Amino acid sequence: MTTRRELVGGLSRICGDANVLWRPEDLLVYEFDGTIERSAPYAVVFPANTEEVAEVVRLCNALGVAITPRGAGTGLSGGSVPARRGVVIATARMRRILEIDPANRIAVVEPGLPNIQLSEAAAVHGLFYAPDPSSQKACTIGGNVAENAGGPHCLALGVTTNHVLGLEVVTAAGDITWLGGHVADTPGYDLRGAFIGSEGTLGIATKVVVRLLPLPASIVTLLAIFDTIEQASHTVSSIIAAGMIPAAMEMMDRTTLQAAEAGLQCGYPPDAGAVLLVELDGIADVVEPQATSARAACMENGAKEVRVARDAATRELLWKGRKGAIGSLGRIAPNYYILDGVVPRSKLVEVMARVGEVSERYGLPIANVFHAGDGNLHPCIAFDEREPGATKRVLEAGAEIMRACVDAGGSLSGEHGIGFEKQQFMPWLYSETDLDNMGRLRGVFGNSGGFNPCKLLPGGTGCGEMAHNDAAIRAAGPDAFV
Amino acid sequence: MASKHSNWPNPAEAPALDDLAKCVHCGLCVNSCPTYAVTGLEVESPRGRIYLARAVEEGRIELTAAVQGHWDLCLQCRACEAVCPSGVPYGRIMEHARAQLDTAASTGRGGRRLRKFLLRRVLARPRILAAAVTPVRWLANSPLRGIGRRTRLLRLGPALARGEAQLPRHIGKPLRAGDSLPAVLGASETAVLFTGCVMGEVFGDVHRATARVLARQGVAAIASAGQGCCGALHAHAGDLAFARELARRNIDALAGTAPAPIVVNSAGCGAAMKEYGDILSGDTAYAARAREFAARVRDFTEYAAALAEQPAASFPARVTYQDPCHLAHAQRIREQPRNLLRTIDGCDLVETPGADLCCGAAGLYSLVQPAMSAELRSRKASQFRDAAPDVIVTANPGCQLQYEAAVREAGITARVMHIAELLDEAQSAAADSS
Ligand SMILES: Cc1cc2nc3c(=O)[nH]c(=O)nc-3n(C[C@H](O)[C@H](O)[C@H](O)COP(=O)(O)OP(=O)(O)OC[C@H]3O[C@@H](n4cnc5c(N)ncnc54)[C@H](O)[C@@H]3O)c2cc1C
Ligand code: SF4
Ligand code: SF4
Repeated sequence: MTTRRELVGGLSRICGDANVLWRPEDLLVYEFDGTIERSAPYAVVFPANTEEVAEVVRLCNALGVAITPRGAGTGLSGGSVPARRGVVIATARMRRILEIDPANRIAVVEPGLPNIQLSEAAAVHGLFYAPDPSSQKACTIGGNVAENAGGPHCLALGVTTNHVLGLEVVTAAGDITWLGGHVADTPGYDLRGAFIGSEGTLGIATKVVVRLLPLPASIVTLLAIFDTIEQASHTVSSIIAAGMIPAAMEMMDRTTLQAAEAGLQCGYPPDAGAVLLVELDGIADVVEPQATSARAACMENGAKEVRVARDAATRELLWKGRKGAIGSLGRIAPNYYILDGVVPRSKLVEVMARVGEVSERYGLPIANVFHAGDGNLHPCIAFDEREPGATKRVLEAGAEIMRACVDAGGSLSGEHGIGFEKQQFMPWLYSETDLDNMGRLRGVFGNSGGFNPCKLLPGGTGCGEMAHNDAAIRAAGPDAFV
Repeated sequence: MASKHSNWPNPAEAPALDDLAKCVHCGLCVNSCPTYAVTGLEVESPRGRIYLARAVEEGRIELTAAVQGHWDLCLQCRACEAVCPSGVPYGRIMEHARAQLDTAASTGRGGRRLRKFLLRRVLARPRILAAAVTPVRWLANSPLRGIGRRTRLLRLGPALARGEAQLPRHIGKPLRAGDSLPAVLGASETAVLFTGCVMGEVFGDVHRATARVLARQGVAAIASAGQGCCGALHAHAGDLAFARELARRNIDALAGTAPAPIVVNSAGCGAAMKEYGDILSGDTAYAARAREFAARVRDFTEYAAALAEQPAASFPARVTYQDPCHLAHAQRIREQPRNLLRTIDGCDLVETPGADLCCGAAGLYSLVQPAMSAELRSRKASQFRDAAPDVIVTANPGCQLQYEAAVREAGITARVMHIAELLDEAQSAAADSS
């Protein structure tokens, strides 16, 4: 049995007193991520390098204390919430760019680096890092790796796994190992691929080798305004049918537009029913004719107006509403619960109707944002957690929507991960054997249940409903057992 | 209003739950926050500070010394507010959070009392302030200062050295409320020049430059009598009652000048005065008048850029503009100052990374949080070393002093100017050569 005092003492010996948080008030702000799950750790530790991470992991394993990795805490599936308390290992002090190699178009970075800072540094060399989650100002490369994050520009270019060549990892067992390398296609099993998207359940990425791409010579962005979601959806199909793969195709519904307009003043007309953003990039000779036909597709499907941007400033204006859309939902209600379903593009309109029906039945406003090109929808249920029973109803409504996505032949997560909240839905998609095999992969990395417990796969011990553990926070002194 | 389970020591001035609840902890603001950028700690981020306030409000935690420490380290720069898509009124939340610290049985209580006393009894009293600034002016302009620096006498006390570093290079003649400004022949408009407290005592030169620039644009500036300290520093420190009192005094003093615009050349004062309607919203006698007053307030750059008359100006130099927080983040004014500079002949405007990141001056912050303030100043210093500007220009007096210190730290020779001074020099240079 270990007391908190001993645990904190051990962590401090590895990382220094200043790099361990243990006061209840300080721990409180590590009880959440971007979603509604909550549970505070016993301690948060900020290692400076790979060796310190490995030592911390070994210490926690020796003491039998659960570990949860954390990047910027923008996750939308409760991934960095320490479900069984224990220790949070935060990567905030590991945020350097170790190397940019413009000749080979790669960069080596530490996991705590905010996504946007990589793109800013690469831009100096005429390069960029493709995965651009809407949270890119804040979220970290390590968190992106763990969630296999996507972004508006992943339609043509692919998600995180398509842009990470190799990883240095401290495994759940506390070993330091490399997965993949500095070039694509390393021989042997693709453990790099298995690690990306593993939601922090196999280990902690401590160095990431990413692929950089040359900035496109020419970019044209179109913003089309429609009366209905149907019109916008049909436009998406027409554009794809015409043989184009735009860099991005993003859609927002009326509720979202109104919130974004209130919060960000993007100049959307008040009566717009849907907005579609289409971005085309490449060499000008290809992009310009594509822009013309994309514009025509919008008009044919009933667009009221199509705005076009060719320079960075105007483009940013067109994107502003989309990038800030989710955050601005705070204007509708104090809380939102964001879902992340995938449906075949052809079923989009049908699933949207189910979402509308759920919204009405539960009396909960639902705003919808989509990565329309790849059928990834983000219904956001707005609510106020202060109303008794609200959170429970929201979770029920969310489950119904997820079920609708799976029934339509889709999936449970496009990019936000399964995390805590969706693990119980995994049997909708996978057989027991499928799940067992995935579970065995954890063992390979040395995770016997204490490394980011209660995430991704159903079951696990002590994974009841997470609750505000206030009483526990207050009552337990430094001599309480962990 | 605080809920009945809340742990606020001063419930009447508690942050509003509706304001706190707007934060959906999405985290989009954290990297815009200077203290998070430096520490990497969620507790030193806007999201963390709001979450702690919410926890106190909900009675989950006490307002402990640790919580206060996290709030105290906040610069109140409002960079977080400007990027928050959810519209969280962070500035207002933090003012009310600070209002709790006065009452809380807390660490640093003596310091807080002293600060409150100085803010109330010195800053807000023109005659006492004038008397206090006189020896400082003498010291700043005296040869003793150079000797002190050369002989390292100042190294004797870090507090002494810090104080010296905060002094302007030269303090000109004051310009106070009621002082007369040169008449402008054929003026098309009259504007009230807001004289402020320290601004008028220490930066009289900037006021006179502002008036000259406005005169060339056809506007007669008047330094109306009776106006005084805007109350921004009081509100930031949580002395909301007194901030409201100062707001009422200014509203009364300038009532007779309506509807003339009130032009402010200190970003912090302008931001506070644009929010008079907000801080007096609960005062039935003043709420409507406060809103009318606020609607008249213009930052100098905002006002000057919108005037039809744009005189010729020439200023051949490499110039970098650094956004004052309360101009860029609180008033959302970024383009107007840059546009004014772009129209000047020969003025080569260079942007530095993080131009809108707080310099660490932040009102009294440099005195109460010297370590964080120095770290932020050093970051500016290294940007200046890289960009090698001839002139660093800003639009807030506190920032100017911090940039003087950053220039010394960088070991470069750039001049630090208020944008009104630069425009004044540039316009008079163009007039001389034509
Ligand atoms: C407003 C908003 C918009 C968003 N938009 C998008 C979007 O467009 N696309 C998208 O994909 N996501 C989006 N997200 C979700 C979120 O930003 C991503 O999942 C992101 O990758 C999380 O990064 P983080 O650094 O915040 O990680 P955290 O939230 O801290 O952690 C996420 C998971 O990663 C694990 N982890 C963190 N660091 C490491 C590491 N070094 N090694 C191993 N595991 C680690 C954690 O244990 C956790 O399971 C959005 C979120 C918000 C709030
Ligand atoms: S203050 Fe705004 S940007 Fe920051 S976490 Fe809260 S809602 Fe998000
Ligand atoms: S006001 Fe400035 S220092 Fe304070 S939380 Fe916001 S960004 Fe950070």
